[in-house]
Amino acid sequence: MKTPNKSRLLLAGVTASALFLAACGGGGSSSIIDSGSTEAPASGDSSAPTAAPTTVATPLASLPPCDTTALDSATETIDITFWHGMNGDLEDSLTALTDEYNASQTKVKVSLENQGGYEQTLDKYLQSSQDSRPEMVQAPEYAVQVMGDTDSNVPVGACIESAAYDTSDFLPKALNQYFTEGVQWSMPFNVSDPVLYYNKKVFEAAGLDPNKPPTNMAELRTMSQAIVDSGAAAFGLSLDTGADSGGGWFLEQWFAKLGELFSDNDNGRAAPSTKVNFDGQIGIDLLTELQTLVNDGLAFNVGDNASGQDALLKLADPDKAAAMTIATSAALGTVLTTVEGGLIPGITADDIGVGPMPAPGDADAPGAIVGGASLWIVNHDDPAKTAAVWDFISFLITAESQSTWAAATGYVPVRSSALEVGAIAEKYTSDPRFKVAYDQLLQVSDSPASVGAILGPQREIRTLSARAIATVLQGGDVAAALADAATQANALLSAYIAANQ
Amino acid sequence: MALDTAPKGWRAFSRYLMLTVVALFILFPVYTTVVAALKPGNKVLDNPLLPDAFTLDVVKSAWTEGRLGRYLMNTTIVAFIVTSVQLVTSIASAYAFSFLKFPLKRLVFGIFLSTMLVPLEVTLVVNRRTIDSLGWLNSFQGLTVPFIATAFGTFLLRQVFMQIPPDLREAAQMDGLGHWGFMKEVAIPLVRPTLGALGLFSFLSSWNQYLWPSLITTEDDMNTVQTGLRLLRSSDLDKPNLIMAGTIIAAVPILIVLVVFQKQLVRGLTAGAVKG
Repeated sequence: MKTPNKSRLLLAGVTASALFLAACGGGGSSSIIDSGSTEAPASGDSSAPTAAPTTVATPLASLPPCDTTALDSATETIDITFWHGMNGDLEDSLTALTDEYNASQTKVKVSLENQGGYEQTLDKYLQSSQDSRPEMVQAPEYAVQVMGDTDSNVPVGACIESAAYDTSDFLPKALNQYFTEGVQWSMPFNVSDPVLYYNKKVFEAAGLDPNKPPTNMAELRTMSQAIVDSGAAAFGLSLDTGADSGGGWFLEQWFAKLGELFSDNDNGRAAPSTKVNFDGQIGIDLLTELQTLVNDGLAFNVGDNASGQDALLKLADPDKAAAMTIATSAALGTVLTTVEGGLIPGITADDIGVGPMPAPGDADAPGAIVGGASLWIVNHDDPAKTAAVWDFISFLITAESQSTWAAATGYVPVRSSALEVGAIAEKYTSDPRFKVAYDQLLQVSDSPASVGAILGPQREIRTLSARAIATVLQGGDVAAALADAATQANALLSAYIAANQ
Repeated sequence: MALDTAPKGWRAFSRYLMLTVVALFILFPVYTTVVAALKPGNKVLDNPLLPDAFTLDVVKSAWTEGRLGRYLMNTTIVAFIVTSVQLVTSIASAYAFSFLKFPLKRLVFGIFLSTMLVPLEVTLVVNRRTIDSLGWLNSFQGLTVPFIATAFGTFLLRQVFMQIPPDLREAAQMDGLGHWGFMKEVAIPLVRPTLGALGLFSFLSSWNQYLWPSLITTEDDMNTVQTGLRLLRSSDLDKPNLIMAGTIIAAVPILIVLVVFQKQLVRGLTAGAVKG
């Protein structure tokens, strides 16, 4: 049994490293067939805020600086990588804008890298080391707090100051969404809010005025009853329970519409929120209203809206269509293109009506809070790179760029001067449907309650409320479902505060 | 079942009937996928079950717009690296656990096997950070290194190595073969069917990986076909068939591999299951 010692050692060595590697890889061979998380496509989006810098001030001075003149002294082309989450038509529009920018000058070259969606972009960003992060990233509106807490960014506020950039014609809501603790963290780019999509033909067939969509749930109920009774459509409203839409985002929207605080400490703007308020009477009334619509056969629940379009597609259901649904305004461009392409038999682009998101109950509350995403500058301790990113950002938010972008997508321009130039000037006149989302944002006051919440674990809390709403729409007890979700949400809030002190 | 002779008459008929019905259920989604992929975009919703309009345009645009050629190449490279290195590490470690004597062998093997109980998801975050700090994001190293050793492969090969009679090893020793020689000349040839099965299995699971590549790639050029399909899915309401076409393109190579090597797979994995 003599064994050559060398071989033995070698084999033992390989074995040891195999052991190590197997440990790293988990069950290496066990197949990792994963269908991939489904992600709301066009639009994911959410709430909004504003509010004076009531939080403890983090002065700009303590954050990484921005010297916008650093680009002037750069001798060679600066390469900028931009992680974004825009897909489909939205990505095409973003690529067109980027190409235009790259062709317009030689100092900066921007490369777009699509990370698959908001959630993936954010996850990858948060999980990466600073060196692996791009120079610029698009982060969804629900990520303001977590992004700020990474301490990895140059606040755009610093660049605005350095460049003495004029923001006077910006929508205050859009800017304020990304403004907390006295800092303008990021620059709004794609702004959306939920609107009511409805089928005008069905309204006509039911004897309703096709140019008068319901403005609140009470009207919506009456109209749905008329639609169902007349047989014009099987359902009045198509509802969903996605975290990015009916389950999470819309809930925050409804609270803001009513001017009610979604969470304590002024919606997390005076100090980090410690509890959510959706388990109170307002939340219970609101969801009872939705549940009754479903129970009475007036609304149809399409579930978690996995494709992001399920609620919209219910309007095109050949057998049991719904007449209305609530969805992000960012889908409008895609919806119209799709219908024009002839995919949906029996519905033409002119049949699609757009109205403001209905308010709860019989309230007269036409406003909305900002959804969508904003542009963040990543700090690489390189003034020229920071200046280059700022240069690209300032290109993306010119009145012309915003006009092109908004007209192609259905997003809301971030500044009022965009309405006077280019494609959107024409579009808002010729097709008022695109303007509904814009008008909604002008409607609400700037009180903390009306601008929406900023929460650390906002995404997770939306998932919790979405689950609660799913339970409710399937007939579960409203108060119990909301109380359960609120308890879990409050635990997340405390954990976040503890972890980020 | 292996000892069963072919059933006859009524029994055979009912058996095949049942298999056919089950097969129809399984193949139905595949059928609708193919039908949708071969239709122009605006026809997908009329008669979703009938191939009444035919075009290859969608498949073509999935290939070009979706950059599936590039993604397929990446996936192929990754699958080949993972498979070949996995075979090497599995053979070496399985050999050590079967033929070598070293202290705490049983304990080490136990620990080794216990890694099979750790799902990928648990190690995901830590692994990603490691790869990140090595600067391996968007690289083939990053895509492959975490998978180049497998407890499953080691276990499978150890079981077949254990069936090699000790006499054989002694005889080889008498003839002057060391461990390397014995492994190369005797052990590996004897377990070739299992190796084939293991290789195929590694290849399939590596091909189908989604979660890991999606986490460590940020550049389009490094997407594998599975993560690339996700980008194709996008939000284009008006192109529901594009993703169908992409799925078919992604599935065809692996289907071919599977059909060609099916016997190998079944034989290898059941080898030694029944003592005979």
